[in-house]
Amino acid sequence: MEDVGAKRDGITVDGLARMLRDGQITRRGFLARAVGLVGSAAAAEGLLARVVGAQTTSKNTLVIGQSADISKLDPQMSTTVNDIAVTFNLYDNLLTRRLDGKLYPSLATEWKLVNPTTWQFKLRPNVKFHNGDPLTSADVKFSFERSYDPNAKVITKSILTTIDKIETPDPLTVVIHTKQPDPLLAARVAFYAGQIMPKAYFQKVGDDEFNAKPIGSGPVKFASWVKDDRLILDANRDYWGGKIDVDQIIFRPLPELAARIAALLKGEVDLITKIPPDHVERVSKAPNTKVEGVLYAGLYCLSVASQKPPLDSKPFRQAMSLAIDRQIIVKELWRGQAGVPTGLVVKSDNHFDPTLPPLKYDPNQAKQLLKEANYKGEELTLETPIGFMVMDKEMSEVIVSMWKDVGINAKLEQLEYSVYQQKIREKSFKGIRWTDPTSAYNDPDGMMWRHLAPGGPNAYWFRHPRFDELGNGARFSVDEKFREGAYKEMARLELEFLPLIPVIQPMELYGLQKYVEWKPYANQTMEFRRFNLKMRRA
Amino acid sequence: MQGLARFLAYRLLRMLVAMWCVVTVVFIVMRLSGDPVPLLLPPDAPIAEMERLRHEMGLDRPIWVQYGVFMSQAVHGDFGRSIHFRTSALQVVWERVPATLELAFASFLCAIVVAIPAGILSAVKRGSTYDNIVMGVALIGQAAPTFYIGIMLILVCSLWLGLFPTSGRGEWRQLVLPSVTLGAFAMASIARITRSAVLEILMADFIRTARAKGVPEFWTIVKHVMRNAAIPVVTIVGLQLGNLLGGAVVTETIFSWPGIGRLAIQSIYNRDYPIVQSCVFMTAAMFVVVNFLVDVTYGLLDPRIRRG
Repeated sequence: MEDVGAKRDGITVDGLARMLRDGQITRRGFLARAVGLVGSAAAAEGLLARVVGAQTTSKNTLVIGQSADISKLDPQMSTTVNDIAVTFNLYDNLLTRRLDGKLYPSLATEWKLVNPTTWQFKLRPNVKFHNGDPLTSADVKFSFERSYDPNAKVITKSILTTIDKIETPDPLTVVIHTKQPDPLLAARVAFYAGQIMPKAYFQKVGDDEFNAKPIGSGPVKFASWVKDDRLILDANRDYWGGKIDVDQIIFRPLPELAARIAALLKGEVDLITKIPPDHVERVSKAPNTKVEGVLYAGLYCLSVASQKPPLDSKPFRQAMSLAIDRQIIVKELWRGQAGVPTGLVVKSDNHFDPTLPPLKYDPNQAKQLLKEANYKGEELTLETPIGFMVMDKEMSEVIVSMWKDVGINAKLEQLEYSVYQQKIREKSFKGIRWTDPTSAYNDPDGMMWRHLAPGGPNAYWFRHPRFDELGNGARFSVDEKFREGAYKEMARLELEFLPLIPVIQPMELYGLQKYVEWKPYANQTMEFRRFNLKMRRA
Repeated sequence: MQGLARFLAYRLLRMLVAMWCVVTVVFIVMRLSGDPVPLLLPPDAPIAEMERLRHEMGLDRPIWVQYGVFMSQAVHGDFGRSIHFRTSALQVVWERVPATLELAFASFLCAIVVAIPAGILSAVKRGSTYDNIVMGVALIGQAAPTFYIGIMLILVCSLWLGLFPTSGRGEWRQLVLPSVTLGAFAMASIARITRSAVLEILMADFIRTARAKGVPEFWTIVKHVMRNAAIPVVTIVGLQLGNLLGGAVVTETIFSWPGIGRLAIQSIYNRDYPIVQSCVFMTAAMFVVVNFLVDVTYGLLDPRIRRG
């Protein structure tokens, strides 16, 4: 800013800029005085733009750059991160989970557990779908039942399976009976499969037409979608929660990271997803942009996918965990944009125990345990995809070298993503693989138990009668005290046997223009509502 | 005239055989590469659910039955429904054709407008500083990876100089950087081939004769050299156009250009067989049509070829 130092009558342009930012003068006042300093009205306008342009905007459109295009708009046909970023805005759930991790009313204004297997939801009156149809309990019943209907072409069938039947005594009351007590039903209806679709419209147009021209009740309405180019959503002016702060939200796929960041820095987009930690500084130091991060409601773990020696030995697995210096990984690779976990119950989960210490790094104890395990130098293979998780390859290289430092004969193999997926399905890993379990309902049941229960995605070999008894008991109990005790003990057992070795809890990082006021959610959804999105305007 | 008709008929037949081979190979390779079903369902989906979806998509039938169904649908222009988008695969691909053609032809135009004159001048001024510069730049164009050129162009032309948008499709300014990126390799190849073809002709006896007769240098180049150097240049130009049509994956990804290449790659990751098959069919069709046109151009340029 070559003009910023200009001075007249004791006031510098710097001082003027400060006064404007502090609200001591208006934009008009700034312009009037700046003309005197910089010589012309045009130069003063330019100066104003430079001084405040980065901080405020006159835009009425929010443009979001995601790492890939969306695939479907029917909320029950996809659960990918890029799709749910859209569907949680097109549709509403009965309840919604906000930044503090708690459930809040959305389409339901009240909800209660009537008895251990009966939940009652009271709906918000006068809510309308985008086509003007009223939203009633019949739509809720239809949406939930479709999500697990064996004949429906949906992929959400595993989510609301605890529901036995749904009653709709009146248009604003929904009563859900579960097969067994389900402490997480409220959490389930707040997540995917719980989005409410219009029964009448859907039955009129069918699956394909609905997916092409979706109707919801959310704060934005579908306008158009050019695949791989842009999805345009118009603000729903009649939204029950108030119109959002923009007239339009546009989702653009920008798969190449460098191009995505360039588009943000140049101001072509207002918000981008998935910034790797090594690009945080570039975005946050740029004059117009900032980074917002939130601890991911999940973990990056190493999964012990085989029982081939030496992995069958408990002290060996404990040595593997103790040999990993997680602090260094967080500090050096993640530039501080991650946390060291305390176990398999993460910070954002119910029943997280804040008194537990972060997982320990102790190479000497690791060496001791290797002796105890009678380790003879058998080869240990870590199989990693590249770019499936942020920094997976880099973390793998570091961890393998840490293992070598304590005497483990570790080897790294890099796999193409689809081969990796194939190996997950076939359960054919040689030893250790990466996994990034999400805590689906902010509860240990949605992560620790879901992944390690019999048949779970990471239950390769681990079975422990007490662990199973507690997991089953807590899943079907509405006694939170009992559940807390159960998960504490399960977390301890998990750390003893280590079927999963937690490594880090990463931050989800988003890049934003400074004028966009919005905070990301831990569960990767992007909810834009009147209460949480603000475009700072001059 | 009969010779030309036979020539065309033969080329057309070869075109169809090529298309059939390509489509069949893709069918087999895609099925060898893995199962799409688990990629469509959440990680904890039950086995029964996977089986149901597999049955619904016809993937539980023997591969030769699948192939029979596929071929009989393909000859009717039906490549099935996209597994990922759950809509007609050909339609999904067809929506990308305008973007692909737009980018390919813009790159192509960029390439020939720059490369052919540059190649000719380079040959005429062989050994000069100009020649060295052009060939040096051409070497960089051929050697530098597309993603590097693309990202550099974004950094310099978009971010620093602010001349063009970083990505997307819509206005003409958004077409510039992807066209230059995609056209860089073609530009370099065409310039080099043009230079060597022209050099070869420049040394021919009839050029010496033309010069001896006192034909001005400009007309010697335009009338004698260019016409005779055309065959290798047309060949490389045709091949490059084919490449531009089908090989824009990296450019399309960097610039978020909604073309066929990017769709094909995503669909391979998603194991979306119908889309991949449609993409390959469409690209192969464009490629063979271009090749066919090149063949016809040969015939027009050089009667010996169509008689042979």
